[in-house]
Amino acid sequence: MRLRALNDAARRLGLHREQADADARAIAPALLAAPAEPARELKALRALAAWCGCWSPTVALDLSPGGFEGLFLDIAGVDHLFGGEDAMLSVMRRRLKAAGIPCRIALAPTPGAAWAMARWSGKETSRLDSARLRDGIASLPLAALRLDEANLRLARLFGLRRIGDLYALPRSGLARRFRDGDGLGLVRRLDQALGLAEEPLTPVRPAADYRAVKLFAEPVLDMAGIEAQLPALAAKLAAQLERDGRGAARLRLTGFRSIGTTATLEVRIGTPHRQTKIWLRLLREKGLDRLDPGFGFDALALSADRTAPVAAVQPALEPDSARPAGALSVAELADRLAARLGEAAVTMPVPVPSWVPERSERRVPAQDVIAAAGLRPVPSSRPRPLLMLDPPEPVEVMAELPDSPPARFRWRRVLRHVARAEGPERLEPEWWQIQRRPVPEREEFVESGMDEFPLKNQGFQGAASENQGRIKGSDRTRDYYLVEDENGARYWLFREGLYDRREEKELVPSWWMHGLFP
Amino acid sequence: MEAVSVRVPLHSPYPQHPDTLEEACAENFRAMAATLCFALSRLPADGRPAVICMTAAQTHEYGRIFGRGTIWARHFPLLLVEPRKAIEALWAAEQALRSGAVAGVAIAVDDLTLTQTRRLEFAARHGGASAMTVLTRPGGLTAARRRWRIRPAPSAPNPFDARAPGSLRIAAELVRSRTEPPALFMLEQDDETHRLRLADRLAGHGLVEAGRTVAAA
Repeated sequence: MRLRALNDAARRLGLHREQADADARAIAPALLAAPAEPARELKALRALAAWCGCWSPTVALDLSPGGFEGLFLDIAGVDHLFGGEDAMLSVMRRRLKAAGIPCRIALAPTPGAAWAMARWSGKETSRLDSARLRDGIASLPLAALRLDEANLRLARLFGLRRIGDLYALPRSGLARRFRDGDGLGLVRRLDQALGLAEEPLTPVRPAADYRAVKLFAEPVLDMAGIEAQLPALAAKLAAQLERDGRGAARLRLTGFRSIGTTATLEVRIGTPHRQTKIWLRLLREKGLDRLDPGFGFDALALSADRTAPVAAVQPALEPDSARPAGALSVAELADRLAARLGEAAVTMPVPVPSWVPERSERRVPAQDVIAAAGLRPVPSSRPRPLLMLDPPEPVEVMAELPDSPPARFRWRRVLRHVARAEGPERLEPEWWQIQRRPVPEREEFVESGMDEFPLKNQGFQGAASENQGRIKGSDRTRDYYLVEDENGARYWLFREGLYDRREEKELVPSWWMHGLFP
Repeated sequence: MEAVSVRVPLHSPYPQHPDTLEEACAENFRAMAATLCFALSRLPADGRPAVICMTAAQTHEYGRIFGRGTIWARHFPLLLVEPRKAIEALWAAEQALRSGAVAGVAIAVDDLTLTQTRRLEFAARHGGASAMTVLTRPGGLTAARRRWRIRPAPSAPNPFDARAPGSLRIAAELVRSRTEPPALFMLEQDDETHRLRLADRLAGHGLVEAGRTVAAA
């Protein structure tokens, strides 16, 4: 085990990165160490990258290994908005510090040089301009060039310690000896640092190709003012899209607040189009009135983040008699409903190849299904319920052993007598899938003679804890029974586990209610 | 077998065509699946899709719609709308009805005011669609043209296994209508087309008179 990252206190004790844990503990017995969590670190870095979007439109993740992660911000043409480069750096530092994020910031003409200065110059804030670039990084160690381990070792053998040592050496010799291994070779890294070779940054959020921006002389505070600007913005965007024969599949309205933050509204459009009236309506459904301008918006941008080719269609000479005048298409309806209720609330069932009932169907946002027309749900030829309980609810059953259908069962506290039953339909677990059935949450229903409706707000408790133990073996064989009680109500029950296979599974077979037939 | 006590005139036909707004009330909690099935089957089959609105709380209570179990449905696609609040479900239903994109909407609600039913009715008329409100208890004043009371009925005998349930049957009682007298109809799933049809169409008008359907069964 090695140290991956340290805080200031540890550094003051003389510990360093990549030091063996045992060595570190020998130096500092009171060392508190926690396992590294690269996934969470990456998540945090991404969140920070999103936040840094307030400084520059081009923010790239720097995923250098070994605890050297960082962010690249391309601030070309941006710094004047923050009062110049120095002012920008100090504001950046101040705000990161206020957020509790220790940082080192370097500003240099190339990403490579900035990387080197931030990590190896030892200064909290450093700045290099192009005139001093060559001299500025000459004194830094070779590791500042982002070389891989093999190249670094080789350089140490040659007695090369600092970047400046390389300047005098012939390039051809260097290129021959230091080849590209895991990373880029020494010469290329040197060229990148000195700006002789391009180093492209991959921004976290690529800039939208289609974008209409409106700047205001005075911050706009009221919603009416913002709404008044929208038709013009939408028309501008639609014109750009029309020029290229494309339609918007995802729209984003961004309001830039005068205090430096943004407010965004995103709308998804199932079938891409460029009808501004519908765009505006979708934005309104999505909650345009909830867009908080704070102390006012300086600028508004409407961008089409995702587009798709759209061909213009000639309008019909005669109105379609089957559709009422002004009728929407299903896709437009789905867009409208999804904009207000959320994509997950407007769905269609899509079949999935699985025989486990709860996995045999997936709810997919209606917009996706309509876009990929032809995903027709396949009703099963076997009896399947109309309403499925998710998760299944426990029932108490009286049934003959080992596998007769239930004779009586108690579900939601009401005892029901089975008049007729069909089954079992035996479903073996899909052994290639890891099954984990969720624990049912409720059983607390009120029994009353005439009215069987479960009372609301009863507080669901009880069954969950009792069944916690039984749920473990949910990768067991299920026997499904379609039963009908004496009133004609039809239920879908299953028994999990088999009585004659008790020796393999230590758990007692249990009964569950999975669905209701009409 | 259940004795049927309602006596109705023999020639009251089953209203095949749905009106703009009808109400289907589940007799009890267990009748919810039958009521939804009835409501969907009553929506006009004109090639347009249908919408089912159920709030998340109702889904939790009654179960969620399972597409594989809708073999009797005549609509494709089935658009499932599952908002959080009842008021959003009403909004979604109104939008869908008014849009003209769907044949009809089945909306499960706990309670409806007269104004809300009026709005649904207007929206349905505007979009050339039908709305079925699925209630769990009899509602008050309503703009619905027909009010149905639904309960599951013991299924038809299974020709292959006397102990197993046969094709599904639903007892639909027309409680109130502007144009027809009250009547009780027995609907049955056709074993070939899987659609709902009157249980004893050949024998008469599907009306249950003094348990005739039961005798035929």
